[in-house]
Amino acid sequence: MSDFQHQAIRLTAQQQPLTWLESLRNKATDAWLAQPWPTRKTEHWKYTPMQGLQKTLLHVWGTAANQILDKALQDELIPVDATRLVFVNGVFDAKHSSRLPETVVRFSQADAEQQALIEKYLGNIVEGEHHLFATLNNAWVDDGVLIHVPRSQRLDKPVYIVNVVTAVAAVSNQRVLIVLDENSQAEIIEHYLSSADVQNGFANSLTEIHLGDNANLQHYRLNMEEEHAQHIGAVHVDLQRNARLRGFALALGSSLMRVDYQLNHRGQGAELDLQGIYLPRNQQVVDYHTNICHWVPHCTSNEVFRGIVSDSAQAIFNGRIYIHQDAQKTLAELSNKNMLTSNKAEVNTKPELEIYADDVKCAHGATISQLNTGARYYLQSRGLSRAEADVMLSFGFINELLEQIAQPAVHDYLQPRLAKLFGRDNSLNEVNVLAELADDKTIG
Amino acid sequence: MSEQVEHLIKKEYAAGFHTTIDSETLPPGLNEDVIRFISAKKNEPEWLLEWRLKAYQAWLEMTEPEWAHVKYEDIDFQAVSYYSAPKSMDEKPKSLDEVDPELLRTYEKLGIPLHEQAALAGVAMDVVFDSVSVVTTFREKLFEVGVIFCSISEAVHKYPELVKKYIGSVVPQRDNYYAALNSAVFSDGSFVYIPKGVRCPMELSTYFRINEQNTGQFERTLIIADEGSHVSYLEGCTAPMRDENQLHAAVVELIALDNAEIKYSTVQNWYPGNEEGKGGIYNFVTKRGVCHTNAKISWTQVETGSAVTWKYPSCILRGDNSVGEFYSVALTNNYQQADTGTKMIHIGKNTRSTIISKGISAGKSSNAYRGLVRINPGAEGARNYTQCDSLLIGDKCGAHTFPYIESKNPSAVIEHEATTSKVSEDQMFLCQQRGLDAEKAVSMIVNGFCREVFKELPMEFAVEAGKLLEVSLEGSVG
Repeated sequence: MSDFQHQAIRLTAQQQPLTWLESLRNKATDAWLAQPWPTRKTEHWKYTPMQGLQKTLLHVWGTAANQILDKALQDELIPVDATRLVFVNGVFDAKHSSRLPETVVRFSQADAEQQALIEKYLGNIVEGEHHLFATLNNAWVDDGVLIHVPRSQRLDKPVYIVNVVTAVAAVSNQRVLIVLDENSQAEIIEHYLSSADVQNGFANSLTEIHLGDNANLQHYRLNMEEEHAQHIGAVHVDLQRNARLRGFALALGSSLMRVDYQLNHRGQGAELDLQGIYLPRNQQVVDYHTNICHWVPHCTSNEVFRGIVSDSAQAIFNGRIYIHQDAQKTLAELSNKNMLTSNKAEVNTKPELEIYADDVKCAHGATISQLNTGARYYLQSRGLSRAEADVMLSFGFINELLEQIAQPAVHDYLQPRLAKLFGRDNSLNEVNVLAELADDKTIG
Repeated sequence: MSEQVEHLIKKEYAAGFHTTIDSETLPPGLNEDVIRFISAKKNEPEWLLEWRLKAYQAWLEMTEPEWAHVKYEDIDFQAVSYYSAPKSMDEKPKSLDEVDPELLRTYEKLGIPLHEQAALAGVAMDVVFDSVSVVTTFREKLFEVGVIFCSISEAVHKYPELVKKYIGSVVPQRDNYYAALNSAVFSDGSFVYIPKGVRCPMELSTYFRINEQNTGQFERTLIIADEGSHVSYLEGCTAPMRDENQLHAAVVELIALDNAEIKYSTVQNWYPGNEEGKGGIYNFVTKRGVCHTNAKISWTQVETGSAVTWKYPSCILRGDNSVGEFYSVALTNNYQQADTGTKMIHIGKNTRSTIISKGISAGKSSNAYRGLVRINPGAEGARNYTQCDSLLIGDKCGAHTFPYIESKNPSAVIEHEATTSKVSEDQMFLCQQRGLDAEKAVSMIVNGFCREVFKELPMEFAVEAGKLLEVSLEGSVG
């Protein structure tokens, strides 16, 4: 047990939590204090540098600070026609949020029926004993967002949840619960931001998703915080019979960014597509741990993560596929490709397969390399400068995944922003490269 | 189909007999006196005893590794006897004629004739029985070209500078729990030195046999290939069938100096336990080699035996342009568990490594590949290719892959691929339609699956490995 663990619990004294969540909070508090603090010897935290977080003094809830989205950050929002919820330092900012439809409600506003639904699912999709910080999120849980799509309904607009941290040394606990009943359909975007001057902030986010039979969800999770933010988060999903999830994850990197995906195929015929991009620079750390568990037969998983690691940044990827003895006829594939662009950059990747059923097709692949010199030579011989060629090649490497984003607003928001990252130190004309990319979608 | 398969994997362990022979066996237990006894028994110099005691102290402070994907009952290290030798070996025999005929018969029964004229032409053998080396063949012939091939106890006396310089240089005493235990109590093993520029004229080979009950085998092998030399070394092993679990904790150290090449092949066939998973050898082995400039170390292993295997033959690619290779077939059946793989540590520039691992699981067994590829910041232009394939026979077994890939150099290129599949009904149908029975068909499919590894084995071994796989799979097809 570490000081951090005690401090984290002491903080709860500043909260005035919802009384009907108390039993979940109390149970989680005990569990959180009982678990050992991860070290280099803890398998799932082997490569994650935790010293910085451990030294972080958790003084205040972000709630004590600014609660209104400032102008600069308003410009960072995705211009999408959606039901928007904005949380600033963990507090709901009604001014910048949309009027909520019946399907979307904050925990604090939930009626008796919704409370019952929340109590049924909240904390039950997540497997706390393997996820230390999910336990912390339970211990801290207060307000959050419930998205409940009833049977055979479809959300007419995407739900866009924005979580912003703006205060120095502030703590923010972010919680989303998504319940899709049978045959329902939804599209949800989670967007995490922080203001540029935030030092030592700490955000703990947890999303729980229940997909009923034949439910269909598109889920985006964009971690676009500034350099000095610290974020540990997780997405836990249960997929029932023939449910379908298309997930997309993006991380630009911050002083600590760790996201766990726990995906459980619990009903036959469920399908899962998960794609991710990470682009850490400077001293940043990005850590994705994904764990796909096939418990029943006839399910499909396809996971692709790509990353470009620059400067002194560090990327960690751990992708586990677990096939239970009963999960015959499973198809599961995982690919992780990494590009290192600097002598000080570091990648640690670990694709894992754990298979107990024989009639399955499983494969994983991982590569680490740098830009293909042959491809660079080709572009240079066609008249591009070396810098331009490099931007085009690196951007092409991730653009392949960007092109598959189904929601046009997200795609159009991300593409220029990410392209800009590659051109940052070069004198080249980004617009030109982008224009060429736009003309020729086959690049990459 | 699976019933037929299951019928086919049921097999007899051919090497499971026990030799009745008068042995001097230490009572179970481990303390400093036991170590002093072993050291005195071998007339060891003071420095080696000190070295052993230091290892023992380290071992006392260490804890058993628990990260491997294997489950077994806790080992009572005080219930193991740490030294056992046939009485007839008290005076080391000068030649084969002086060796106890009962011992010779044991090896004949195992298909390993020790008389030089009868032996496989071109293979020199060191034979280790429980805790002692019985005999080393073809020594004179090897000595003519300057190759030293003898037991490590002998080397301690005859070539103390070499032993002192290199022992523990690749696997230090504190390296891990079992290496520390081995360093404290190792009893015998092989020692090889190939002088500068010499290509060893024949295959060198060691055969390990555990015979006594309640004993553990702790051998230590040290191979030094001097600049520009080349050696191919083979290792085989068996043990009697017993209901108890016996411990085998070996350490192998390879040193390939500039431009040298070492090829190390293992066919591991320790007693795997019976169909209910009772008995069998716990095989906890540390094998590691260090490559200097332009050197090459190649590990090839066929693992079919042992109740529990915990083994990661590794290469430290220290010198520029050095090469590490790892080819492995691991087959588990019944309740066997294997957690095996390799570590490739790239330190020098332009270092290359290849890992080909084939895991076959049948019955209720569990088979895991665990590997590490680490590219250090200075390993400019390093290259690694890894391929791990698993084949599942039956629906109660497990096949796992745990590769750790760490890169700190942008010019390195690392590729890792893993697939899992089963012997498909289509493949079986095709073979059977062509007139093969189910058993032959599986054997052919499995052999094809392992081909890339088998072709790396020296010829005699490749044949043996193929046969071994056939026997091990007997009864697993359907």
